[in-house]
Amino acid sequence: MSGSNRKQLTLIAMIVFGLALVVVLSKSIDARRPPVDLVVEEERLYVNGNTAKRLSLSFNGLVADWYWMRSLQYVGRKVLTLPEGAMLDRLGSANLKLLPALLDTATSLDPQFMEPYEYGAIVLPVADVDAAIRLTKKGIAANPSAWRLYHHLGYIYWQRGDLATAAETYGAGGQIPGAPEWMTAMKAKMLADGGGRATAREIYSRMYEGSTDEKVKEMAQLRLLQLDAFDQIDILKKLLAPFKARTGRCPASWKELEPIFRARRVPVDGSGAPLDPAGTPYEFKPENCDVAVSYDSKIPVK
Amino acid sequence: MDTAAAITHQEKLRSSQAGTLWRTAAIARNAFREAVRDRVLYNLVLFVLLLTLVAIFIGELSGGQERKIIVDLGLSTMLLFGVFISIFVGVGLVYKEIERRTIYAIFSKPVSRGEFLIGKYLGLCLTLLVNVVVMGAGVSLALLYVGGRGESLALTIWPAIVLIYIELMIVTSVALLFSSFSSPALSALLTFLVFTIGHFSSDLKTLAGSMESTVARWLFTGLYYLLPNLSNYSYITPAAHGQAPTFANVLLALAYAAVYIIIIMAAATLVLSKRNFK
Repeated sequence: MSGSNRKQLTLIAMIVFGLALVVVLSKSIDARRPPVDLVVEEERLYVNGNTAKRLSLSFNGLVADWYWMRSLQYVGRKVLTLPEGAMLDRLGSANLKLLPALLDTATSLDPQFMEPYEYGAIVLPVADVDAAIRLTKKGIAANPSAWRLYHHLGYIYWQRGDLATAAETYGAGGQIPGAPEWMTAMKAKMLADGGGRATAREIYSRMYEGSTDEKVKEMAQLRLLQLDAFDQIDILKKLLAPFKARTGRCPASWKELEPIFRARRVPVDGSGAPLDPAGTPYEFKPENCDVAVSYDSKIPVK
Repeated sequence: MDTAAAITHQEKLRSSQAGTLWRTAAIARNAFREAVRDRVLYNLVLFVLLLTLVAIFIGELSGGQERKIIVDLGLSTMLLFGVFISIFVGVGLVYKEIERRTIYAIFSKPVSRGEFLIGKYLGLCLTLLVNVVVMGAGVSLALLYVGGRGESLALTIWPAIVLIYIELMIVTSVALLFSSFSSPALSALLTFLVFTIGHFSSDLKTLAGSMESTVARWLFTGLYYLLPNLSNYSYITPAAHGQAPTFANVLLALAYAAVYIIIIMAAATLVLSKRNFK
Protein backbone atom coordinates (compact mmCIF):
# COMPACT_ATOMS: atom_id res chain seq x y z
CA MET A 1 0.00 0.00 0.00
CA SER A 2 1.37 3.38 -1.01
CA GLY A 3 1.85 6.19 1.48
CA SER A 4 -0.90 8.24 -0.15
CA ASN A 5 -3.45 5.39 0.13
CA ARG A 6 -2.49 4.77 3.75
CA LYS A 7 -3.01 8.44 4.49
CA GLN A 8 -6.46 8.37 2.85
CA LEU A 9 -7.47 5.26 4.77
CA THR A 10 -6.34 6.85 8.02
CA LEU A 11 -8.44 9.93 7.29
CA ILE A 12 -11.53 7.82 6.43
CA ALA A 13 -11.02 5.80 9.61
CA MET A 14 -10.80 9.03 11.59
CA ILE A 15 -14.08 10.27 10.08
CA VAL A 16 -15.92 6.99 10.76
CA PHE A 17 -14.52 6.75 14.27
CA GLY A 18 -15.36 10.39 14.92
CA LEU A 19 -18.97 9.92 13.77
CA ALA A 20 -19.35 6.86 16.00
CA LEU A 21 -17.97 8.89 18.90
CA VAL A 22 -20.44 11.70 18.19
CA VAL A 23 -23.34 9.19 18.45
CA VAL A 24 -22.02 7.85 21.77
CA LEU A 25 -21.48 11.32 23.19
CA SER A 26 -24.92 12.54 22.01
CA LYS A 27 -26.59 9.60 23.73
CA SER A 28 -24.66 10.31 26.87
CA ILE A 29 -25.63 14.01 26.82
CA ASP A 30 -29.31 13.14 26.11
CA ALA A 31 -29.34 10.73 29.07
CA ARG A 32 -28.10 13.47 31.38
CA ARG A 33 -30.39 16.19 30.04
CA PRO A 34 -32.51 17.67 32.85
CA PRO A 35 -36.30 17.42 32.46
CA VAL A 36 -37.83 20.25 30.43
CA ASP A 37 -38.62 23.24 32.59
CA LEU A 38 -42.34 23.89 32.10
CA VAL A 39 -41.88 27.62 32.68
CA VAL A 40 -39.27 27.80 29.95
CA GLU A 41 -41.25 25.54 27.62
CA GLU A 42 -44.38 27.65 27.98
CA GLU A 43 -42.55 30.96 27.70
CA ARG A 44 -44.45 33.50 25.68
CA LEU A 45 -43.42 33.98 22.05
CA TYR A 46 -40.78 36.67 21.56
CA VAL A 47 -42.41 38.21 18.54
CA ASN A 48 -46.07 38.79 17.84
CA GLY A 49 -47.66 38.11 14.48
CA ASN A 50 -47.27 41.62 13.06
CA THR A 51 -43.60 41.85 14.01
CA ALA A 52 -42.97 38.39 12.58
CA LYS A 53 -44.62 39.50 9.34
CA ARG A 54 -42.30 42.50 9.06
CA LEU A 55 -39.21 40.45 9.85
CA SER A 56 -40.04 37.70 7.41
CA LEU A 57 -39.55 39.90 4.29
CA SER A 58 -41.03 37.96 1.35
CA PHE A 59 -40.99 34.69 3.23
CA ASN A 60 -44.12 35.26 5.36
CA GLY A 61 -45.93 32.26 3.84
CA LEU A 62 -43.05 29.97 4.74
CA VAL A 63 -42.80 31.39 8.27
CA ALA A 64 -46.59 30.94 8.64
CA ASP A 65 -46.15 27.26 7.67
CA TRP A 66 -43.45 26.94 10.31
CA TYR A 67 -45.74 28.41 13.00
CA TRP A 68 -48.55 26.14 11.81
CA MET A 69 -46.39 23.03 12.07
CA ARG A 70 -45.12 24.25 15.43
CA SER A 71 -48.77 24.52 16.60
CA LEU A 72 -49.41 20.92 15.51
CA GLN A 73 -46.23 19.71 17.23
CA TYR A 74 -47.16 21.65 20.37
CA VAL A 75 -50.61 20.05 20.54
CA GLY A 76 -49.12 16.67 19.59
CA ARG A 77 -46.66 16.84 22.49
CA LYS A 78 -49.51 17.74 24.87
CA VAL A 79 -51.65 14.87 23.56
CA LEU A 80 -48.84 12.45 24.41
CA THR A 81 -49.17 13.43 28.07
CA LEU A 82 -52.90 12.55 28.07
CA PRO A 83 -54.52 9.10 28.26
CA GLU A 84 -54.66 7.33 24.90
CA GLY A 85 -57.55 8.26 22.62
CA ALA A 86 -57.94 11.85 23.87
CA MET A 87 -60.20 13.74 21.47
CA LEU A 88 -59.00 16.82 19.63
CA ASP A 89 -61.93 18.85 20.95
CA ARG A 90 -61.46 17.70 24.55
CA LEU A 91 -57.87 18.65 25.37
CA GLY A 92 -58.86 20.86 28.31
CA SER A 93 -56.48 19.23 30.77
CA ALA A 94 -53.55 19.61 28.37
CA ASN A 95 -52.84 23.28 29.22
CA LEU A 96 -52.58 24.70 25.71
CA LYS A 97 -51.33 28.09 26.90
CA LEU A 98 -49.18 28.84 23.86
CA LEU A 99 -51.60 27.65 21.19
CA PRO A 100 -53.57 30.93 20.82
CA ALA A 101 -50.33 32.89 20.26
CA LEU A 102 -48.98 30.30 17.79
CA LEU A 103 -52.16 30.24 15.71
CA ASP A 104 -52.49 34.02 15.90
CA THR A 105 -48.95 34.44 14.57
CA ALA A 106 -49.50 31.91 11.78
CA THR A 107 -52.65 33.72 10.64
CA SER A 108 -51.10 37.19 10.94
CA LEU A 109 -48.30 36.02 8.65
CA ASP A 110 -50.74 34.49 6.18
CA PRO A 111 -54.30 35.72 6.79
CA GLN A 112 -55.67 33.48 4.02
CA PHE A 113 -54.33 30.34 5.62
CA MET A 114 -57.65 28.66 6.58
CA GLU A 115 -56.47 25.59 8.45
CA PRO A 116 -55.23 27.41 11.59
CA TYR A 117 -58.67 29.04 11.94
CA GLU A 118 -60.39 25.66 11.68
CA TYR A 119 -57.94 24.04 14.07
CA GLY A 120 -58.36 26.94 16.50
CA ALA A 121 -62.15 26.64 16.36
CA ILE A 122 -61.97 22.98 17.30
CA VAL A 123 -59.04 22.74 19.72
CA LEU A 124 -58.94 26.18 21.36
CA PRO A 125 -62.42 26.49 22.95
CA VAL A 126 -61.59 24.10 25.81
CA ALA A 127 -58.46 26.11 26.64
CA ASP A 128 -59.58 29.66 25.86
CA VAL A 129 -62.94 30.10 24.19
CA ASP A 130 -62.50 33.87 23.86
CA ALA A 131 -59.21 33.35 22.01
CA ALA A 132 -60.97 30.88 19.70
CA ILE A 133 -63.70 33.42 18.94
CA ARG A 134 -61.13 36.20 18.45
CA LEU A 135 -59.09 34.09 16.04
CA THR A 136 -62.11 33.08 13.97
CA LYS A 137 -63.43 36.66 13.84
CA LYS A 138 -59.97 37.78 12.72
CA GLY A 139 -60.21 35.22 9.93
CA ILE A 140 -63.64 36.52 8.91
CA ALA A 141 -62.32 40.10 8.83
CA ALA A 142 -59.42 39.05 6.59
CA ASN A 143 -61.50 36.72 4.39
CA PRO A 144 -65.02 38.17 4.29
CA SER A 145 -66.13 35.80 1.55
CA ALA A 146 -65.06 32.61 3.39
CA TRP A 147 -68.41 31.22 4.56
CA ARG A 148 -66.65 28.24 6.16
CA LEU A 149 -65.24 30.53 8.86
CA TYR A 150 -68.82 31.36 9.88
CA HIS A 151 -69.41 27.62 10.20
CA HIS A 152 -66.39 27.41 12.54
CA LEU A 153 -67.57 30.41 14.57
CA GLY A 154 -71.10 29.00 14.76
CA TYR A 155 -69.60 25.71 15.97
CA ILE A 156 -67.75 27.50 18.80
CA TYR A 157 -70.95 29.26 19.93
CA TRP A 158 -72.91 26.00 19.64
CA GLN A 159 -70.27 24.19 21.73
CA ARG A 160 -70.59 26.72 24.52
CA GLY A 161 -74.39 26.55 24.40
CA ASP A 162 -74.97 30.03 22.98
CA LEU A 163 -77.52 28.79 20.47
CA ALA A 164 -78.96 32.19 19.56
CA THR A 165 -75.54 33.59 18.55
CA ALA A 166 -74.70 30.32 16.80
CA ALA A 167 -77.92 30.59 14.76
CA GLU A 168 -77.19 34.23 13.97
CA THR A 169 -73.65 33.31 12.84
CA TYR A 170 -74.86 30.49 10.57
CA GLY A 171 -77.46 32.89 9.16
CA ALA A 172 -74.78 35.53 8.43
CA GLY A 173 -72.58 32.90 6.77
CA GLY A 174 -75.51 31.71 4.68
CA GLN A 175 -75.88 35.23 3.20
CA ILE A 176 -72.41 35.10 1.63
CA PRO A 177 -72.47 34.47 -2.12
CA GLY A 178 -71.44 30.89 -2.80
CA ALA A 179 -72.36 29.64 0.69
CA PRO A 180 -74.23 26.31 0.61
CA GLU A 181 -77.90 26.23 1.45
CA TRP A 182 -77.35 24.14 4.54
CA MET A 183 -75.77 27.17 6.26
CA THR A 184 -79.13 28.96 6.20
CA ALA A 185 -80.95 25.74 7.06
CA MET A 186 -78.59 25.36 10.01
CA LYS A 187 -79.81 28.67 11.40
CA ALA A 188 -83.38 27.37 11.56
CA LYS A 189 -82.22 24.00 12.92
CA MET A 190 -80.16 25.72 15.59
CA LEU A 191 -83.14 27.78 16.71
CA ALA A 192 -85.53 24.81 16.69
CA ASP A 193 -83.28 22.04 18.03
CA GLY A 194 -79.95 23.62 18.95
CA GLY A 195 -79.05 21.12 21.68
CA GLY A 196 -80.40 18.06 19.86
CA ARG A 197 -78.60 15.21 18.18
CA ALA A 198 -79.90 16.11 14.72
CA THR A 199 -78.10 19.46 14.88
CA ALA A 200 -74.94 17.84 16.23
CA ARG A 201 -75.06 15.26 13.43
CA GLU A 202 -75.43 17.97 10.83
CA ILE A 203 -72.52 20.00 12.26
CA TYR A 204 -70.13 17.04 12.44
CA SER A 205 -71.17 15.75 9.02
CA ARG A 206 -70.42 19.15 7.46
CA MET A 207 -67.15 19.33 9.36
CA TYR A 208 -66.16 15.88 8.12
CA GLU A 209 -67.03 16.75 4.52
CA GLY A 210 -65.31 20.14 4.52
CA SER A 211 -62.11 19.58 6.46
CA THR A 212 -58.78 18.75 4.86
CA ASP A 213 -57.12 18.02 8.20
CA GLU A 214 -57.07 14.28 8.92
CA LYS A 215 -57.19 14.81 12.69
CA VAL A 216 -60.27 17.02 12.40
CA LYS A 217 -61.90 14.48 10.08
CA GLU A 218 -61.13 11.71 12.54
CA MET A 219 -62.60 13.73 15.41
CA ALA A 220 -65.78 14.51 13.41
CA GLN A 221 -66.11 10.85 12.41
CA LEU A 222 -65.81 9.69 16.02
CA ARG A 223 -68.39 12.26 17.11
CA LEU A 224 -70.75 10.93 14.40
CA LEU A 225 -70.17 7.36 15.62
CA GLN A 226 -70.83 8.58 19.15
CA LEU A 227 -74.18 10.03 18.03
CA ASP A 228 -75.03 6.68 16.39
CA ALA A 229 -74.04 4.95 19.62
CA PHE A 230 -76.29 7.26 21.66
CA ASP A 231 -79.20 6.40 19.32
CA GLN A 232 -78.45 2.69 19.72
CA ILE A 233 -78.27 3.05 23.51
CA ASP A 234 -81.77 4.56 23.45
CA ILE A 235 -83.00 1.52 21.52
CA LEU A 236 -81.23 -0.88 23.92
CA LYS A 237 -82.85 0.86 26.86
CA LYS A 238 -86.23 0.47 25.18
CA LEU A 239 -85.55 -3.26 24.86
CA LEU A 240 -84.54 -3.48 28.48
CA ALA A 241 -87.74 -1.85 29.71
CA PRO A 242 -90.20 -4.67 28.70
CA PHE A 243 -87.82 -7.30 30.11
CA LYS A 244 -87.78 -5.43 33.42
CA ALA A 245 -91.56 -5.01 33.35
CA ARG A 246 -92.05 -8.71 32.63
CA THR A 247 -89.57 -10.15 35.15
CA GLY A 248 -89.49 -7.34 37.69
CA ARG A 249 -85.69 -7.22 37.57
CA CYS A 250 -82.81 -6.21 35.45
CA PRO A 251 -81.10 -8.89 33.35
CA ALA A 252 -77.99 -10.27 35.10
CA SER A 253 -76.05 -10.00 31.86
CA TRP A 254 -76.49 -9.35 28.15
CA LYS A 255 -76.86 -13.13 27.66
CA GLU A 256 -80.47 -13.01 28.90
CA LEU A 257 -81.37 -10.53 26.15
CA GLU A 258 -79.50 -12.28 23.36
CA PRO A 259 -82.63 -13.89 21.76
CA ILE A 260 -84.28 -10.46 21.57
CA PHE A 261 -81.18 -8.97 20.00
CA ARG A 262 -80.99 -11.78 17.49
CA ALA A 263 -84.65 -11.39 16.63
CA ARG A 264 -84.10 -7.64 16.11
CA ARG A 265 -80.86 -8.28 14.20
CA VAL A 266 -78.84 -6.23 16.66
CA PRO A 267 -75.17 -7.13 16.08
CA VAL A 268 -73.76 -9.03 19.09
CA ASP A 269 -70.44 -10.58 20.05
CA GLY A 270 -69.79 -14.17 21.25
CA SER A 271 -71.06 -13.43 24.75
CA GLY A 272 -74.30 -11.98 23.39
CA ALA A 273 -73.35 -8.38 24.16
CA PRO A 274 -74.54 -5.80 21.60
CA LEU A 275 -71.79 -4.05 19.70
CA ASP A 276 -71.37 -0.31 19.28
CA PRO A 277 -70.68 1.17 15.79
CA ALA A 278 -66.94 0.73 16.40
CA GLY A 279 -67.41 -3.00 17.13
CA THR A 280 -66.84 -2.88 20.92
CA PRO A 281 -69.50 -4.38 23.25
CA TYR A 282 -71.62 -1.87 25.12
CA GLU A 283 -71.10 -1.75 28.86
CA PHE A 284 -74.07 -3.06 30.82
CA LYS A 285 -74.59 -1.86 34.40
CA PRO A 286 -77.06 -4.32 36.03
CA GLU A 287 -77.06 -2.39 39.32
CA ASN A 288 -79.05 0.50 37.78
CA CYS A 289 -80.09 -1.23 34.55
CA ASP A 290 -78.14 1.22 32.47
CA VAL A 291 -76.18 0.96 29.19
CA ALA A 292 -73.14 3.02 28.21
CA VAL A 293 -70.36 3.14 25.66
CA SER A 294 -67.45 1.09 26.99
CA TYR A 295 -64.20 2.82 27.95
CA ASP A 296 -62.51 0.18 25.78
CA SER A 297 -64.25 1.51 22.70
CA LYS A 298 -62.59 4.05 20.43
CA ILE A 299 -65.88 5.96 20.52
CA PRO A 300 -65.65 8.71 23.17
CA VAL A 301 -67.78 8.10 26.25
CA LYS A 302 -68.50 11.83 26.73
CA MET B 1 -25.19 65.66 -45.75
CA ASP B 2 -25.95 64.14 -49.18
CA THR B 3 -27.93 60.91 -49.62
CA ALA B 4 -24.88 58.68 -50.12
CA ALA B 5 -23.24 60.03 -47.01
CA ALA B 6 -26.47 59.60 -45.07
CA ILE B 7 -26.73 55.97 -46.21
CA THR B 8 -23.11 55.29 -45.29
CA HIS B 9 -23.71 56.89 -41.90
CA GLN B 10 -26.81 54.75 -41.34
CA GLU B 11 -24.98 51.59 -42.41
CA LYS B 12 -22.11 52.40 -40.06
CA LEU B 13 -24.63 53.01 -37.27
CA ARG B 14 -26.39 49.73 -38.03
CA SER B 15 -23.13 47.82 -38.17
CA SER B 16 -22.00 49.47 -34.94
CA GLN B 17 -25.35 48.58 -33.31
CA ALA B 18 -24.96 44.99 -34.53
CA GLY B 19 -21.40 45.02 -33.22
CA THR B 20 -22.59 46.24 -29.82
CA LEU B 21 -25.17 43.46 -29.67
CA TRP B 22 -22.65 40.85 -30.80
CA ARG B 23 -20.01 41.98 -28.25
CA THR B 24 -22.55 42.19 -25.42
CA ALA B 25 -23.86 38.72 -26.30
CA ALA B 26 -20.29 37.34 -26.35
CA ILE B 27 -19.57 38.75 -22.88
CA ALA B 28 -22.94 37.47 -21.60
CA ARG B 29 -22.18 33.99 -22.97
CA ASN B 30 -18.82 33.99 -21.24
CA ALA B 31 -20.28 35.21 -17.96
CA PHE B 32 -22.82 32.36 -18.13
CA ARG B 33 -20.07 29.82 -18.92
CA GLU B 34 -17.99 31.14 -16.07
CA ALA B 35 -20.92 30.77 -13.65
CA VAL B 36 -21.43 27.18 -14.82
CA ARG B 37 -17.68 26.50 -14.47
CA ASP B 38 -17.82 27.96 -10.96
CA ARG B 39 -20.49 25.32 -10.16
CA VAL B 40 -23.11 27.94 -9.36
CA LEU B 41 -25.82 25.64 -10.71
CA TYR B 42 -24.89 22.97 -8.16
CA ASN B 43 -27.42 24.63 -5.86
CA LEU B 44 -30.07 22.97 -8.04
CA VAL B 45 -29.04 19.55 -6.72
CA LEU B 46 -29.57 20.76 -3.16
CA PHE B 47 -32.91 22.26 -4.15
CA VAL B 48 -34.12 19.06 -5.80
CA LEU B 49 -33.09 17.02 -2.75
CA LEU B 50 -34.89 19.43 -0.45
CA LEU B 51 -38.08 19.34 -2.51
CA THR B 52 -38.03 15.55 -2.79
CA LEU B 53 -37.68 15.19 0.97
CA VAL B 54 -40.42 17.73 1.59
CA ALA B 55 -42.79 16.11 -0.92
CA ILE B 56 -42.32 12.72 0.73
CA PHE B 57 -42.26 13.63 4.40
CA ILE B 58 -44.08 16.92 4.93
CA GLY B 59 -47.53 15.28 4.86
CA GLU B 60 -46.77 13.76 8.27
CA LEU B 61 -46.00 17.12 9.84
CA SER B 62 -48.28 19.60 8.15
CA GLY B 63 -51.79 18.36 8.88
CA GLY B 64 -52.66 17.92 5.20
CA GLN B 65 -51.10 21.18 4.06
CA GLU B 66 -48.29 19.69 1.97
CA ARG B 67 -49.31 21.49 -1.26
CA LYS B 68 -49.20 24.91 0.38
CA ILE B 69 -45.93 24.11 2.11
CA ILE B 70 -44.32 22.83 -1.09
CA VAL B 71 -45.21 26.10 -2.83
CA ASP B 72 -44.10 28.28 0.10
CA LEU B 73 -40.88 26.37 0.62
CA GLY B 74 -40.11 25.90 -3.07
CA LEU B 75 -40.66 29.52 -4.11
CA SER B 76 -39.04 30.96 -0.96
CA THR B 77 -35.97 28.78 -1.53
CA MET B 78 -35.96 29.85 -5.17
CA LEU B 79 -35.90 33.50 -4.08
CA LEU B 80 -33.34 32.91 -1.34
CA PHE B 81 -30.92 30.90 -3.51
CA GLY B 82 -31.45 33.40 -6.32
CA VAL B 83 -30.64 36.34 -4.05
CA PHE B 84 -27.49 34.59 -2.82
CA ILE B 85 -26.39 33.93 -6.40
CA SER B 86 -27.24 37.51 -7.43
CA ILE B 87 -25.29 38.94 -4.55
CA PHE B 88 -22.28 36.67 -4.28
CA VAL B 89 -21.76 36.08 -7.99
CA GLY B 90 -22.90 39.59 -8.96
CA VAL B 91 -20.44 41.41 -6.71
CA GLY B 92 -17.54 39.38 -8.13
CA LEU B 93 -18.35 39.91 -11.79
CA VAL B 94 -16.38 43.11 -12.23
CA TYR B 95 -14.03 42.68 -9.29
CA LYS B 96 -12.71 39.31 -10.49
CA GLU B 97 -11.82 40.76 -13.89
CA ILE B 98 -9.91 43.60 -12.21
CA GLU B 99 -8.24 41.26 -9.70
CA ARG B 100 -7.09 38.86 -12.44
CA ARG B 101 -6.17 41.82 -14.63
CA THR B 102 -8.19 40.29 -17.49
CA ILE B 103 -10.11 43.56 -17.70
CA TYR B 104 -7.08 45.11 -19.52
CA ALA B 105 -7.32 42.44 -22.19
CA ILE B 106 -11.04 43.10 -22.59
CA PHE B 107 -10.75 46.86 -22.78
CA SER B 108 -7.82 46.65 -25.19
CA LYS B 109 -10.39 45.31 -27.66
CA PRO B 110 -13.17 47.48 -29.11
CA VAL B 111 -15.46 46.83 -26.12
CA SER B 112 -17.00 49.74 -24.29
CA ARG B 113 -17.43 49.71 -20.54
CA GLY B 114 -21.20 49.80 -20.95
CA GLU B 115 -21.13 46.73 -23.23
CA PHE B 116 -18.90 44.96 -20.73
CA LEU B 117 -21.24 45.69 -17.80
CA ILE B 118 -24.45 44.86 -19.66
CA GLY B 119 -22.88 41.66 -21.01
CA LYS B 120 -21.87 40.59 -17.53
CA TYR B 121 -25.33 41.48 -16.24
CA LEU B 122 -27.14 39.52 -18.95
CA GLY B 123 -24.85 36.53 -18.40
CA LEU B 124 -25.76 36.37 -14.74
CA CYS B 125 -29.44 36.92 -15.59
CA LEU B 126 -29.21 33.92 -17.93
CA THR B 127 -27.70 31.83 -15.12
CA LEU B 128 -30.55 32.92 -12.85
CA LEU B 129 -33.10 32.14 -15.56
CA VAL B 130 -31.83 28.57 -15.88
CA ASN B 131 -31.88 28.31 -12.10
CA VAL B 132 -35.42 29.65 -11.73
CA VAL B 133 -36.86 27.60 -14.60
CA VAL B 134 -35.36 24.33 -13.30
CA MET B 135 -36.47 25.11 -9.76
CA GLY B 136 -39.97 26.07 -10.96
CA ALA B 137 -40.22 22.81 -12.88
CA GLY B 138 -39.09 20.98 -9.71
CA VAL B 139 -41.81 22.64 -7.63
CA SER B 140 -44.44 21.84 -10.28
CA LEU B 141 -43.34 18.19 -10.40
CA ALA B 142 -43.41 17.93 -6.59
CA LEU B 143 -46.95 19.37 -6.65
CA LEU B 144 -48.02 16.88 -9.31
CA TYR B 145 -46.51 14.06 -7.22
CA VAL B 146 -48.44 15.15 -4.12
CA GLY B 147 -51.67 16.38 -5.72
CA GLY B 148 -52.00 14.12 -8.75
CA ARG B 149 -52.35 15.01 -12.42
CA GLY B 150 -55.14 17.52 -11.92
CA GLU B 151 -53.09 19.69 -9.56
CA SER B 152 -53.83 23.25 -10.73
CA LEU B 153 -51.19 24.82 -8.46
CA ALA B 154 -48.50 23.29 -10.69
CA LEU B 155 -49.52 25.88 -13.31
CA THR B 156 -50.83 28.80 -11.26
CA ILE B 157 -47.50 29.30 -9.47
CA TRP B 158 -45.73 30.37 -12.69
CA PRO B 159 -46.75 34.07 -12.67
CA ALA B 160 -45.32 34.27 -9.13
CA ILE B 161 -42.13 32.63 -10.43
CA VAL B 162 -41.91 35.28 -13.17
CA LEU B 163 -42.15 37.98 -10.49
CA ILE B 164 -39.40 36.28 -8.47
CA TYR B 165 -37.17 36.29 -11.53
CA ILE B 166 -37.82 39.99 -12.13
CA GLU B 167 -36.95 40.71 -8.49
CA LEU B 168 -33.69 38.78 -8.92
CA MET B 169 -32.88 40.85 -12.01
CA ILE B 170 -33.23 44.02 -9.95
CA VAL B 171 -31.07 42.64 -7.12
CA THR B 172 -28.41 41.59 -9.65
CA SER B 173 -28.28 45.08 -11.14
CA VAL B 174 -27.88 46.57 -7.65
CA ALA B 175 -25.03 44.12 -6.90
CA LEU B 176 -23.35 45.07 -10.14
CA LEU B 177 -23.67 48.79 -9.37
CA PHE B 178 -22.01 48.38 -5.97
CA SER B 179 -19.32 46.10 -7.37
CA SER B 180 -18.39 48.74 -9.93
CA PHE B 181 -16.90 50.95 -7.22
CA SER B 182 -16.59 48.90 -4.03
CA SER B 183 -14.97 45.76 -2.62
CA PRO B 184 -16.90 42.45 -2.89
CA ALA B 185 -17.55 42.23 0.87
CA LEU B 186 -18.92 45.75 1.11
CA SER B 187 -20.89 45.34 -2.12
CA ALA B 188 -22.48 42.13 -0.82
CA LEU B 189 -23.43 43.83 2.43
CA LEU B 190 -24.87 46.89 0.68
CA THR B 191 -26.83 44.78 -1.80
CA PHE B 192 -28.26 42.68 1.00
CA LEU B 193 -29.29 45.88 2.79
CA VAL B 194 -31.02 47.14 -0.36
CA PHE B 195 -32.80 43.77 -0.68
CA THR B 196 -33.96 44.00 2.94
CA ILE B 197 -35.00 47.66 2.78
CA GLY B 198 -36.67 46.94 -0.56
CA HIS B 199 -39.14 44.75 1.30
CA PHE B 200 -39.78 47.50 3.86
CA SER B 201 -40.42 50.12 1.19
CA SER B 202 -44.08 50.59 2.05
CA ASP B 203 -43.02 51.30 5.65
CA LEU B 204 -40.82 54.15 4.41
CA LYS B 205 -43.87 55.74 2.82
CA THR B 206 -45.90 55.30 6.03
CA LEU B 207 -42.98 56.71 8.01
CA ALA B 208 -42.78 59.72 5.71
CA GLY B 209 -46.50 60.33 6.19
CA SER B 210 -46.20 60.23 9.97
CA MET B 211 -43.23 62.65 10.19
CA GLU B 212 -43.83 66.17 11.43
CA SER B 213 -40.60 67.62 10.05
CA THR B 214 -40.82 68.57 6.39
CA VAL B 215 -37.18 67.65 5.79
CA ALA B 216 -37.67 64.19 7.28
CA ARG B 217 -40.84 63.75 5.26
CA TRP B 218 -39.00 64.65 2.06
CA LEU B 219 -36.09 62.41 3.02
CA PHE B 220 -38.23 59.33 3.59
CA THR B 221 -40.40 60.03 0.55
CA GLY B 222 -37.21 60.38 -1.49
CA LEU B 223 -35.88 57.10 -0.13
CA TYR B 224 -39.19 55.41 -0.92
CA TYR B 225 -38.89 56.37 -4.57
CA LEU B 226 -35.12 55.91 -4.76
CA LEU B 227 -34.92 52.38 -3.37
CA PRO B 228 -36.49 49.52 -5.32
CA ASN B 229 -39.88 48.50 -3.96
CA LEU B 230 -39.36 44.75 -3.94
CA SER B 231 -42.67 44.08 -2.22
CA ASN B 232 -44.17 44.58 -5.71
CA TYR B 233 -42.73 41.16 -6.49
CA SER B 234 -43.81 39.31 -3.32
CA TYR B 235 -46.46 36.94 -4.57
CA ILE B 236 -45.34 33.71 -2.96
CA THR B 237 -47.97 33.57 -0.21
CA PRO B 238 -50.98 34.24 -2.48
CA ALA B 239 -49.53 31.76 -5.01
CA ALA B 240 -49.64 29.07 -2.33
CA HIS B 241 -53.42 29.68 -2.14
CA GLY B 242 -53.79 29.27 -5.89
CA GLN B 243 -54.01 33.01 -6.61
CA ALA B 244 -52.14 34.53 -9.52
CA PRO B 245 -51.33 38.23 -10.04
CA THR B 246 -53.35 39.92 -12.77
CA PHE B 247 -51.74 40.40 -16.16
CA ALA B 248 -51.79 44.17 -15.61
CA ASN B 249 -49.95 43.73 -12.29
CA VAL B 250 -47.23 41.62 -13.90
CA LEU B 251 -46.91 44.10 -16.74
CA LEU B 252 -46.61 47.08 -14.39
CA ALA B 253 -44.09 45.23 -12.22
CA LEU B 254 -42.13 44.41 -15.37
CA ALA B 255 -42.19 48.06 -16.52
CA TYR B 256 -41.08 49.24 -13.05
CA ALA B 257 -38.22 46.73 -13.07
CA ALA B 258 -37.16 47.68 -16.62
CA VAL B 259 -36.99 51.37 -15.74
CA TYR B 260 -35.20 50.65 -12.48
CA ILE B 261 -32.67 48.32 -14.09
CA ILE B 262 -31.94 50.83 -16.87
CA ILE B 263 -31.30 53.54 -14.25
CA ILE B 264 -28.99 51.30 -12.21
CA MET B 265 -27.08 49.99 -15.22
CA ALA B 266 -26.65 53.56 -16.48
CA ALA B 267 -25.30 54.57 -13.07
CA ALA B 268 -23.00 51.53 -12.96
CA THR B 269 -21.68 52.30 -16.46
CA LEU B 270 -21.11 55.90 -15.43
CA VAL B 271 -19.16 54.85 -12.34
CA LEU B 272 -17.12 52.27 -14.25
CA SER B 273 -16.33 54.70 -17.04
CA LYS B 274 -14.86 57.09 -14.46
CA ARG B 275 -12.59 54.41 -13.03
CA ASN B 276 -8.96 54.44 -13.94
CA PHE B 277 -7.53 50.93 -14.34
CA LYS B 278 -3.92 52.03 -14.79
